Amino acid sequence: MTKGRLQKPGAGPLVLIFLFTLLASIDALLSIAGAEEYTFDVSEIEKKPYHIGGYAEIRPVLFGLDKDASLYKLRFYNRDEGSTLKEYNAALQLEGSLEKGIGRLFLRTNTDYRNSYVGEEWKTTVYEGFLSLKPSSSLTVDIGKKTLKWGKGYAWNPVAFVDRPKDPDEPELSLEGFIVASADYIKSFHEGPLKTVSFTPVLLPVYEHVNHTFGDIHHLNIAGKLYLLLYDTDIDFTILAGGSKTTRYGVDFSRNITANFELHGEFAFINDYKKKLIDSDGNTSEKETDAKSHLIGIRYLTEKDTTYILEYYGNGTGFTSGEMRDYFAFINKGHDSYVSSGNDALLKKAAKSTAGNYGRPNAMREYFYFRASQKEPFDILYFTPSITGILNINDKSFSLSPEFLYSGMTNVEFRLKASFIAGERFSDYGEKQNDYRLEFRARYYF
Amino acid sequence: MKKLLVTLIALLAAVPAYAADGAALLKQVDRNMNPESYESYRKLINIEPDGRKKEYTLFTVKKGVDKVASLFIAPASEKGRSTLRLDENMWLYIPNVGKPVRITSLQSVVGGVFNNADILQLDYTAEYTVEKVEEQGNVYLLHLKAKTKSVAYDRLRLWADKAKKLPTKIECLTEANMLIKTLYFKDIKDFGGGVVRPAVMETDSPLYKGYKSVMIFAKVKARDFKDEVFTLPFMPNLESLR
Repeated sequence: MTKGRLQKPGAGPLVLIFLFTLLASIDALLSIAGAEEYTFDVSEIEKKPYHIGGYAEIRPVLFGLDKDASLYKLRFYNRDEGSTLKEYNAALQLEGSLEKGIGRLFLRTNTDYRNSYVGEEWKTTVYEGFLSLKPSSSLTVDIGKKTLKWGKGYAWNPVAFVDRPKDPDEPELSLEGFIVASADYIKSFHEGPLKTVSFTPVLLPVYEHVNHTFGDIHHLNIAGKLYLLLYDTDIDFTILAGGSKTTRYGVDFSRNITANFELHGEFAFINDYKKKLIDSDGNTSEKETDAKSHLIGIRYLTEKDTTYILEYYGNGTGFTSGEMRDYFAFINKGHDSYVSSGNDALLKKAAKSTAGNYGRPNAMREYFYFRASQKEPFDILYFTPSITGILNINDKSFSLSPEFLYSGMTNVEFRLKASFIAGERFSDYGEKQNDYRLEFRARYYF
Repeated sequence: MKKLLVTLIALLAAVPAYAADGAALLKQVDRNMNPESYESYRKLINIEPDGRKKEYTLFTVKKGVDKVASLFIAPASEKGRSTLRLDENMWLYIPNVGKPVRITSLQSVVGGVFNNADILQLDYTAEYTVEKVEEQGNVYLLHLKAKTKSVAYDRLRLWADKAKKLPTKIECLTEANMLIKTLYFKDIKDFGGGVVRPAVMETDSPLYKGYKSVMIFAKVKARDFKDEVFTLPFMPNLESLR
């Protein structure tokens, strides 16, 4: 379902910027025009059997490169891109649905355009596409490609066994799903502390051309979620079994302690987790352990409308500082070898260990997440500045990202975001390819 | 002395009678505003001091005294978002995020002067007790006190038309009697099915000088729903009720 092609940089970004600006301007003008008396035309709320919508965005990014970092050496060993790198990104996310009787067809696609130092690249992915049958308000059956988004954590979800991992830097972005057959059975109760029970069984096949990135192929996996609203607390129990991945169990909860203070947590137990390691000489090995991951977090809203999100994440499947040091040491060894002999075999071996393993977001053992956002400061409506920090507790390296979001015009959103990362040599953030990143995002919804 | 005792006893007896009248009056105001279980459409308009407007359209369903859910159907940037309130618990579902997150009554999912408690309004009797009722010409003034600390406004001063038993104005106050916002009810309209209530609610706030928010109601009608509609797993499916 994915297509990609590379070309030399062209006029693509300029055309996209022009089209985007035009669309956004028309909509913005419509929202400003006319301070006349408000109206509510009933035709505005008429339901149609179909729906088409989505968003288009442009996102230019400037990277400040760290030429001494291991991941810079791994990626740019055979080219010199200077001290900064520019990248022009655009995205088009389309969604449509068709409803008839108890059935509903839903489709969401995402097309990414990138113009970077390697040229132009297009990639279209079907994020979701499924048929939903709803014979009653208690039962829904879905068949097709779908995201399930389990867990209560904001930045991380160790119990989300049937989801792709989300990016803690952009936890609210939509993700690509897996092809599943699932159901939701809901039961409510009038009396007593238990208000709601729901059960979500999931079948997830993994074969050559179906969900092959999920895990080992030729398995029909079974997953499930049991949800309870008990004593005003959301509680989920999750499970995944079937062979593509080792069996795993999870529990999560979320509860408002007071009206403005929410507490949430997750715990996952993973049987026989296989960790793939590479040492400083490039020898690979596999270590099997029962892994336990956990997360505890809060959301707190102050009287002045500042929202704080704090989370601690213990990643039982993560690498220790020593294991990470070995991996970085091997990259540097490979780079030295390339510089002295022109042979990049060791770097290519290191790159293999990076993809989906050492290179996954927050691949180490313990992290702390912090986000503070202020709603509409200085009486500027729809303006939300915020700052996000992620600290690697093991090696004290961190990233810090201030951002400004403005959504004052109907269907248009502007975001300016910077990210600064810092850390010692051979630390998690210290070895990233960038020292900083500056990006602007303009998004138009239709 | 005897006279004084009789007066005192009469006064003591009168206090619970007044409170009971106040509670009955508030319940009557609730029922006149909405059937106990109903559906409605609402348009929320935030108006800035320079006249700029931002509009949101919501489909809302309510059951009993403590269950209410809303679905955003416009603008495009908000379409598909839904909010759910079960008593004091509130959640927001954003399609991209894909799972409900807990929110508080003090936040606002739309910005502007309305907060989540205004958007997911329960019956006043579910959240407030009547402390005192005053008669002021052709209106009653009800002094309301929140039953718990988690209610968005600690105190309300509710002016209700004596004849129609519908609110005309509500002042929302903190525990220290500081004014947070004022709601004005206008344009009484017959929605059919015996629902006759204000079609427009305006609000302003000393905390947002120059800003105004307006809520316009349409198609308010009694409808019964299953309890399962007011659950987290149902939030992505609210559109199926329209």
